[in-house]
Amino acid sequence: MLATVLGALSSGFLQTLKLFAITLIGSLPLGLIISFGSMSRWAPFARLGNRLEAAGGESKFTHFCEWFKPISLLVKVIVWIVRGTPLMLQLIIIFYIPGQLLPGGSPWPAGDNGRFIAAAVAFIFNYACYFSEIYRGGIQGVPVGQQEAGQVLGMTKRQIFFKVTLLQMIKRIVPPMSNEIITLVKDTSIARIISFQEIIWAGYSFLKGSHGYSGLIWPLFFTGVYYLVFNGLLTLLFGWVERRLSYFR
Amino acid sequence: MSVLEVNALRKSFGEVEVLKNIDFTLEKGEVIAIIGSSGSGKTTLLRCLNFLEKPNGGTISVNGNVIFDGNAPETQSEAEIRLKRLHFGLVFQSFNLFPQYTALQNVKLARELLAQERSDWKQNRKAILAEIDAEARHLLDQMGLAAKADFYPHQLSGGQQQRVAIARALALSPDILCFDEPTSALDPELTGEVLRVIKGLADKDTTMIIVTHEMQFAREVADKVLFMDGGHIVESGPPEEVFGNPKHERTKHFLERYSGT
Ligand SMILES: Nc1ncnc2c1ncn2[C@@H]1O[C@H](COP(=O)(O)OP(=O)(O)OP(=O)(O)O)[C@@H](O)[C@H]1O
Ligand SMILES: [Mg+2]
Repeated sequence: MLATVLGALSSGFLQTLKLFAITLIGSLPLGLIISFGSMSRWAPFARLGNRLEAAGGESKFTHFCEWFKPISLLVKVIVWIVRGTPLMLQLIIIFYIPGQLLPGGSPWPAGDNGRFIAAAVAFIFNYACYFSEIYRGGIQGVPVGQQEAGQVLGMTKRQIFFKVTLLQMIKRIVPPMSNEIITLVKDTSIARIISFQEIIWAGYSFLKGSHGYSGLIWPLFFTGVYYLVFNGLLTLLFGWVERRLSYFR
Repeated sequence: MSVLEVNALRKSFGEVEVLKNIDFTLEKGEVIAIIGSSGSGKTTLLRCLNFLEKPNGGTISVNGNVIFDGNAPETQSEAEIRLKRLHFGLVFQSFNLFPQYTALQNVKLARELLAQERSDWKQNRKAILAEIDAEARHLLDQMGLAAKADFYPHQLSGGQQQRVAIARALALSPDILCFDEPTSALDPELTGEVLRVIKGLADKDTTMIIVTHEMQFAREVADKVLFMDGGHIVESGPPEEVFGNPKHERTKHFLERYSGT
């Protein structure tokens, strides 16, 4: 019996890991792009505003012209929505709604594959939004004096980014990032809502009946052990990275 | 010919005019001390010289070449500015050392990056790096920090950090070295070591502009003192005159307040 349970839980955990890995691979870079978007200073009407201001003084309209940064604004609204609603809801919407709206039916492939892809899309987008805020904090948290010191020393913008600010950013980002990544490990269980067969789903199946057993509660407790061990390993890894970066302040 | 000539320099932040018609010249080997109350525009002036702010008008000439002209946008392109900056060095009030590099690496970094643009970089890489290393160590030695070369900024006292920052600025051999209140972020007992180092540079005829609230120091080290108030240079002259016999009411007022505290 134990062998059957462990076998089922392990293959469930493999699915958990798969979703975890694909989410990180997708959302770490996407989050950086989103953070650049939210920091975008592109203001298409700024010049018009300046000109009007020079000609006729300040007004509500000239203030609007300077304030209106469409990319930053749009990105901030999207991030606000994604962070302000449950991932479970986003998952349901992404999995079911396209099938209702699109004339060709659901864009997701049938079966487990489709569930995995839909879950990956929802998780990547959701986590990218969280990561973008962490990146933004890291980028903006490096004092401007660092950049100015580089400029005064004749460095190019590129050199300042790679040689001066990047490592300081990473140092700032690692602690909040490790929290978020450990949350992600646990959040993967939310994918169960669209019947993605991760480890909790596997454990639960012994309660409601499968593999010839039913009413077994202890396999569910076992899933906790998997999470604990995996998160323990991640904690060790992040601790190591933090120590590697502790030689400066 | 003056090393630096500033003409009718103006700078506004939005509606507020912070620098109004700044004119002064600086000769090679000369030290100018800039004094003035808080908000008078001293920092802004240094930041304009170092292209950290873009002036709204006027000209800046170094060694007779106009490097900034408010009326000529071609003097203001990003790549041009980067090289023109090298005429100036700037030592910040808050040091702004790079925390992830040791004292020595802080001093070497910019020069190493610049050296990569040299045409003989590929052939002479080793020799160039060795030269930069030797000069950086020599500079640290000059600052009394030979033993601290491999320390990270957070392992150094404020006074030591500021001396590393001075060495870092000197490493690029700027024509004019600017200081923005180099000791005001320091505990009183640490100001002496930094002022001594600057005095040493003055004795070796380093051309410097020093914004400071240390009046005694300004008096000792400067060849010329500028008193700024409300974005103007109200009074300028040799220190004996500005401190000993100020002509303007506002200067007198300012100096009285300072000798009072
Ligand atoms: N980036 C900025 N945006 C708007 N106003 C600014 C900016 N920088 C400086 N100012 C204003 O310009 C004026 C001059 O500032 P500045 O820092 O040059 O004064 P300062 O003489 O260096 O003063 P302190 O002795 O306090 O350092 C101040 O009124 C300040 O509020
Ligand atoms: Mg200042």
